[in-house]
Amino acid sequence: MAFLELDGLTRRFGGIVAVDDVTMRVEAGEVRAVIGPNGAGKSTLFHLITGVVKPSAGTVRFDGEAMTGLPPQRICQRGISRTFQLTALFPEMTARENARLAAQARHRRRWQPYGGGSVFGQAERLGDAALERLGLTHVAQRPAGLLSHGDQRLLEVAMALAQQPRLLLLDEPTQGLSVEETEQAVATLAGLLADGSMTVLLVEHDMEVVFRLARMITVLHRGAVIADGPPDVVKADAEVQKAYLGGLA
Amino acid sequence: MNAWHGLLATAFILALAPAGLPPYAMTLLTEALILGLFAMSLDLMVGYTRLLSFGHAAAYGLGAYTAGNLLLHTDIPMVFAVLLAGLFSGIVAIGVAWVCTLASGVSFSMLTLAFAQLLYAVAFKWTSVTGASDGLAGIPRSPGPFGITVFAGKTGFYYLVLACLFGAFVFCRSLVRSPFGAVLQGIRENEAKTRSLGYDTRRYKIAVVAISFALGGLAGALYAPFAGFTNTELLFWLLSGQVLIMVIVGGAGTLIGPIIGAAFFMLVSNLLSSWTDSWALFFGLIFIGFVLFAPQGIWGLATRWLGRTGAPAPKGKRWRSLNWTG
Amino acid sequence: MDFLGFLITQCLNALSQAALLFFLGVGLTLIFGIMRIVNFAHGAFFMLGAYVGYTAVYLTGSFWMALVAAPLLVGAFGAAFELGILRQLYRRDHSAFLMVTFGLTLIMGEGIRLLWGVAALEVPAPKLLSGIVFILDEPFPVYRLFLAGAGIVVALAIWQFLERTRLGLLIRATSQNAEMVHALGTDVRLVRSAVFGIGCGLAGIGGVLAAPLVTASLGMAPNAVIDTFVIVIIGGMGSFAGSLIGALLVAFVQVFGTYYFPDLALALMYLVMLTVLVVRPGGLLGKEA
Repeated sequence: MAFLELDGLTRRFGGIVAVDDVTMRVEAGEVRAVIGPNGAGKSTLFHLITGVVKPSAGTVRFDGEAMTGLPPQRICQRGISRTFQLTALFPEMTARENARLAAQARHRRRWQPYGGGSVFGQAERLGDAALERLGLTHVAQRPAGLLSHGDQRLLEVAMALAQQPRLLLLDEPTQGLSVEETEQAVATLAGLLADGSMTVLLVEHDMEVVFRLARMITVLHRGAVIADGPPDVVKADAEVQKAYLGGLA
Repeated sequence: MNAWHGLLATAFILALAPAGLPPYAMTLLTEALILGLFAMSLDLMVGYTRLLSFGHAAAYGLGAYTAGNLLLHTDIPMVFAVLLAGLFSGIVAIGVAWVCTLASGVSFSMLTLAFAQLLYAVAFKWTSVTGASDGLAGIPRSPGPFGITVFAGKTGFYYLVLACLFGAFVFCRSLVRSPFGAVLQGIRENEAKTRSLGYDTRRYKIAVVAISFALGGLAGALYAPFAGFTNTELLFWLLSGQVLIMVIVGGAGTLIGPIIGAAFFMLVSNLLSSWTDSWALFFGLIFIGFVLFAPQGIWGLATRWLGRTGAPAPKGKRWRSLNWTG
Repeated sequence: MDFLGFLITQCLNALSQAALLFFLGVGLTLIFGIMRIVNFAHGAFFMLGAYVGYTAVYLTGSFWMALVAAPLLVGAFGAAFELGILRQLYRRDHSAFLMVTFGLTLIMGEGIRLLWGVAALEVPAPKLLSGIVFILDEPFPVYRLFLAGAGIVVALAIWQFLERTRLGLLIRATSQNAEMVHALGTDVRLVRSAVFGIGCGLAGIGGVLAAPLVTASLGMAPNAVIDTFVIVIIGGMGSFAGSLIGALLVAFVQVFGTYYFPDLALALMYLVMLTVLVVRPGGLLGKEA
């Protein structure tokens, strides 16, 4: 049994089939990228896994448990953390407080309405560790809204990491970054994923980024899976060439 | 001087007030403190969670009518009646909040207003409980427990109000600095993100509305024996608007600001009322002026000014006033 | 008693009520559609319409003059407020608008009290419309028939305006997709003032038309603004058809509710709203909130 199992996952919006009968397996410790042209259904697939959008058909199983139709906060509590394609932060809080609030969500007494020294303390340790892993310690005391765009993207990843997720979903982590910023962010992420301790599902537009980070690739086209395998296999796939890489490769 | 010293010093000065102020001023001060408690309770919603309520008079009216009925028809000591009324208001709020949080943003604000107006309409019809347009009159300050009568007197009642305000302030301050409070501020800045981090934001919102209503109800419950009567004005939308003005003008998201806002409101309306009865006109103008030019409110301006002149500004970002330009 | 006659007159009654509510709701929803803001002062503009109508009738002796003058003056006042005050707030979040327009409500209420006094003012319906007709032997005021007709005419006019004019197209486009506001380019400032003025003018028409039924009084503003909010919440923020459906639904609930459950009439309206919210949080025709 795989760590994350999607079976026949389908989502229709009116007459449009955004995600069409997707069956996919993600093994523990795997870094898998989901790629495809604009409108291929990548983001919708993420929304289906995280419960933001309910599937029209099909099931999601995570670590052997059915997740289909659970509200987002429950799915997150089961150990799936995500970042968003458009940066979503708490702009007036410092980077450190952002990470702390993320970590706090996994604490048993996250709602405690008084004091909080020990809850904050534990959450802060996890948050600070996550900030350090992404090289953000030097901006920890700055309000998140004032960070550079690149740092904001990394802070989102740090917040997800601070939750110690069992599965990490990254939605276009280099979206909107300049060439240098992308280079830096990818180097940081590659370092993070190198030890193979984390299971990651990644949506990405930039092929360079995908080939540097992912060891397995799923290709979506018009909502359906057209290829699945290691990077070199996918690159060689004729259908992928036609649908996606054609103009580029 | 840290925040606690300032707080204790203020409480000390307020505690000495009865010795130096004439009876008329004491009445005004007592009412200002009651309104301060009312405004501070709304700040939990408006300032810390950005749940803009246009129906907070519902909390005040619920508390006032509940306390009024308890004091008129039972022998429960005033101190307990007031606390019970606040509790009741908070419990009712759970249902209200369950409905209102179905919507968010602007629709939430409208629903709070609609609920308060519904209550206002009910108060007019339910004569046996509310006395309809006559209201409840002759509400006593029942003695006890253990035969304590000190709260019945003017000064004693002032100390009761002061104790309630001080206790509520310490409670709220601890609340907004707790893990729970951190989540509220997350909701304020980005609710969708807070939800995606795994927080069930609706539950937090319902909880904060309930707490806010309980404290607002406590304020209303103190008002009933303070004035000796209740009427439907206590549920009217104008009061909801006034308390919102107190919060914004005083400084939302600071707890202290709304108390200052309430005092400012009392002071100015008393000064204005001696030469015009159109104080609402001036408050409308003052309010718009603050929203446009000083959204951080009086307390926000004051702390910034203190910071600039070298005096230690209140510590930490939690004291920073809410920036409405988010 | 003739049940059919009763039913018809009650339905006409509800239609005339719906017309008034529609004037309020459609203005609010148009403003929200293009500006993404909620005008809390909408009820106050409605009230201002009634008072301006009173003065116009008093000065000219003609209700028809009032019907022209009030929306123009109220609309101009609204556009001026947008130009002078609201314009500075577009970078702020929605609560700033709510608060500023709430402040305006206080100011307008007090201003009206100073100018016209506290007493409710009678505005007579024009001679032509002040009679009674018999519908299947049930008496029915002509004025209410006129209201229902006016509601239908204005609804058709607005619908055509939205379908056929450039401004109408912009309004529809932006209410579908807020990002479109950016695509409006240099027009956007003018469009906002115009839409705000039109919305307030519509509330003003509603005010004049309501005056012969309910008299011009200071209680109009809060009642109107709450009814309006209920309508747009039910219909869906920013949806023209939604405001129409919301107005009809609320009017029928009010009229028949008052008849059959006089004690619960008010609660019924909220019950309808609650049901809609539970089933569709964004309103009947709104996008999911």
